[in-house]
Amino acid sequence: MTAVDSTKAEMTAPVPQMRRPWGTWALGALILFLAVTPFILVIVISFGQKIEGAGWEWDFTLANYQRFFVGALWPDEVTFLHLQRLYYALYYAVIASVLAVATAFPFTYLLTRQSRRAQSCWLVFILASLSLSEVFIVMGWDVLLSNRSGLPMLFEVSGATDWLKRTGWFDVLREWGLANPRNVKFKTSEFATILTMSYLVWPYAVILLYPALSRLDPSLTEAARTMGASPTKVMTSVILPTVKLPLIGSTLLLFVFLLGSYVTVVVFAEPAKQTTAVAVYESVRGATLDAPFGAAQAVVLLVTAALFLVLAQYLTKRSEAR
Amino acid sequence: MTKVAGLSLKYIRKAYGDVRAVDNVSLDFADGALTALLGPSGCGKTTLLRMIAGLEDPSAGSISLGGQDITRLPAHKRKFGMVFQSFALFPHLNVSDNVSYALTIAGTPRGQAAARARELLDLVQLSAFADRRIGELSGGQRQRVAIARALAQEPDVFLLDEPMSALDAKLREDMQVELRQLQQRLGITTIVVTHDQHEAMTMADQIVVMSEGRIEQVGTPQAIYHQPENAFVADFIGKANFFDGVTEGGNVRLGAHLLQITPRANFIDGSPVRIAIRPEKAGLVGEANRLPAKVTFVRDVGPVRDIYLDTPIGPMIVTDSDSGQPLRIGDAVAVALPAEAIHVFPRVADQVAA
Repeated sequence: MTAVDSTKAEMTAPVPQMRRPWGTWALGALILFLAVTPFILVIVISFGQKIEGAGWEWDFTLANYQRFFVGALWPDEVTFLHLQRLYYALYYAVIASVLAVATAFPFTYLLTRQSRRAQSCWLVFILASLSLSEVFIVMGWDVLLSNRSGLPMLFEVSGATDWLKRTGWFDVLREWGLANPRNVKFKTSEFATILTMSYLVWPYAVILLYPALSRLDPSLTEAARTMGASPTKVMTSVILPTVKLPLIGSTLLLFVFLLGSYVTVVVFAEPAKQTTAVAVYESVRGATLDAPFGAAQAVVLLVTAALFLVLAQYLTKRSEAR
Repeated sequence: MTKVAGLSLKYIRKAYGDVRAVDNVSLDFADGALTALLGPSGCGKTTLLRMIAGLEDPSAGSISLGGQDITRLPAHKRKFGMVFQSFALFPHLNVSDNVSYALTIAGTPRGQAAARARELLDLVQLSAFADRRIGELSGGQRQRVAIARALAQEPDVFLLDEPMSALDAKLREDMQVELRQLQQRLGITTIVVTHDQHEAMTMADQIVVMSEGRIEQVGTPQAIYHQPENAFVADFIGKANFFDGVTEGGNVRLGAHLLQITPRANFIDGSPVRIAIRPEKAGLVGEANRLPAKVTFVRDVGPVRDIYLDTPIGPMIVTDSDSGQPLRIGDAVAVALPAEAIHVFPRVADQVAA
C-alpha cells in the first residue's frame, strides 16, 4: 500500500513551481510537428486540384473523391476502377492476414510447449527474420516462383507436371490461373501475392500470439482432458475461446499492415488486380503526377482501415457482453 | 455414484532423465475411501496423482481400475474427476457452463446439462452464483465450482491436487471439513495430494506418507501418528524429540542413561538406533525413565505449555497440559519418558540427531 499512498500523495501535493527547460518544449513541438504535419498535409492535399501539365494547387474540391468512387466522368459515365483496386487491397490483406495467423497459431502453440531454451532459440530466429526487408523477401520469392528457375522448373524436371496432366489436376490449376498451357505457373497470380504477403507478416503473427499463448495455463487443457475432452475438443472448446481476442487482434493488426503492401503487389499481382497502395504511388510519383488524387486514395485507404478496426472493436465488445 | 471396484497401482515408476520422481510405488485404494498422499514438496506425490489421472505416462509399472489395465488409457477416456491446485476454471465460461462442461462436450442435451449443473451447484451451496463470471468469484467459491465441475461426469475416482493451498487458513479448515463431509455423502473413491499433515489427518481414511518418490508408510491417521514406522514419518507427522543411541538388551543406551523400552527393541546389542518421543507423551510427572532436566524456555499458548528442557541426553520439548506446576527458566525438574511411548528406529551411519 505504501507505493500507492505515496503516488497519491505526489498527485495531490501542490506541484512545485518548476521552470520547464525550453529544450523539453522544443522537442515536444518538433515530435508533434513531424508526426502530425505529413498526415494533415495528405488530408488537405486530397481536396486540392491538379493543373494539367504542371503541379497542383490548393483548393477545396471533392472531385478527387468523386473520381475514386464513381469515376472522373460522372454523371455521364460511371467507372469503378479505383473501388476495384480498393477491393483487391482488402481481398489480399484479409486472406493473407488470416492465412498468416491461422498457420502461426499452431506453430506458436507448440512453441510455447517447448523447453525455455528451445523457445528462446526460435524467438531469436523469428525476430532476426523481421530484419529482412520486404524487397529482399519479394526477391527471394520471385526467384522461387519464377517460370525458368523456380518451382515450375522443378515441377517439370521431376515429372510432377506430367503427373498433374495425366491425373487431370493440371486443368484445375489452369482454371485457378496457376498454369499456362505448358507448365504450372505461380508468378503473377493472386496465389503468389497472397503467399508472399502472409510470409511477410508471419513472424509478426508469431510474436503477437506468443504472449497470449505462453500465458495460457496448461492446467486448463489438462482439466478439460480429465473431463473427457479429446485433443481436438480441447482445442475448440478451451484454447481457441480463451485466446479468441488475441487471435482477432493479431489478424486485424496484420490486415491493416498488409493493406499498404507495395512491393509484393507490384511484383506478383496481375496488372488488372493491382491495389490502392500501388495506385497511390503511381499517382504521386508515377506517370500522371497527380498528388491530390493520390492523397485522396491514401485517405480512403486510411479510413477503410479505421472502419475495420472500429467494426472489430464493436464485434469484440458485443461478444464480451454476451 | 457408480462404484467400480479398486484402483490399484503396481510398481509405478516415473523418471525424468536421471531423476526418479516416483520410485516403485504399489498401492491399493479402498472403494469409497479418501486417501491422502502426504509428503514434503518434491516428494513425487503430485506426479503420482497426475499418472493416476492419465496426464503423465509412468516410465514403468501399471495402473488398474476394477481389474482393468488403464496404464496407457488417455486422460479423456478415464472418467476421473480432478480438481487442480489453480482450480483451472475456464475464464470464457460462466459458473454454470464450467460445471456442465463435461456433460456439454459429451453431447448431453442443454437442458439436462443445465439441470445437472444446478443440482451440483446446490450441492456445493453456490446455486445463486450460476450466472456469474469466474472472475467475480472469491477463492473459496472458485474451489467449490472446481469441485462441482469435477463431479459432473460422476467420476469413478475423484482426484484433488493440493486443493486448499490457494485458500487462507480459516477457510482452509472449513473447507477440509466440508469436503470430507461431501465425500462421505457421495461415497466416492477420492485421492487428495497435500503437504499439510493437518489437512491429511482431518480428511483421510488412509494416509500415504511419501518422501523422495518412495512410500514411507501407509496407514490410518491414528496409526501414522502413534506408530510411525521410521524416523522420517515420526518427524514429518507431528512433532518429535529425537535422540541417537545404541541398543543394549532390548533397551537403548544414551551415554550414561539406559532407557527402558516396551516392547523391547528387536535389535542386536550395540546397534546404532534413533529414538523418537512425542512432546505430549513425555511429561514432568511419571515414574518411567526419569531424567533430571533444566527449564530453558516456556511457551504458554493457553490450553497447553511447551516446555523446553535441557537434559543429560540432549535438548527436548515437552508439551504439558495438566501438571499445573509453576515453571520458570532455570528451574530444575525431572522429565519422565514412558517406555511404551518411545519409538526406536534403526540409524544409518551418516544420520545425525536433529
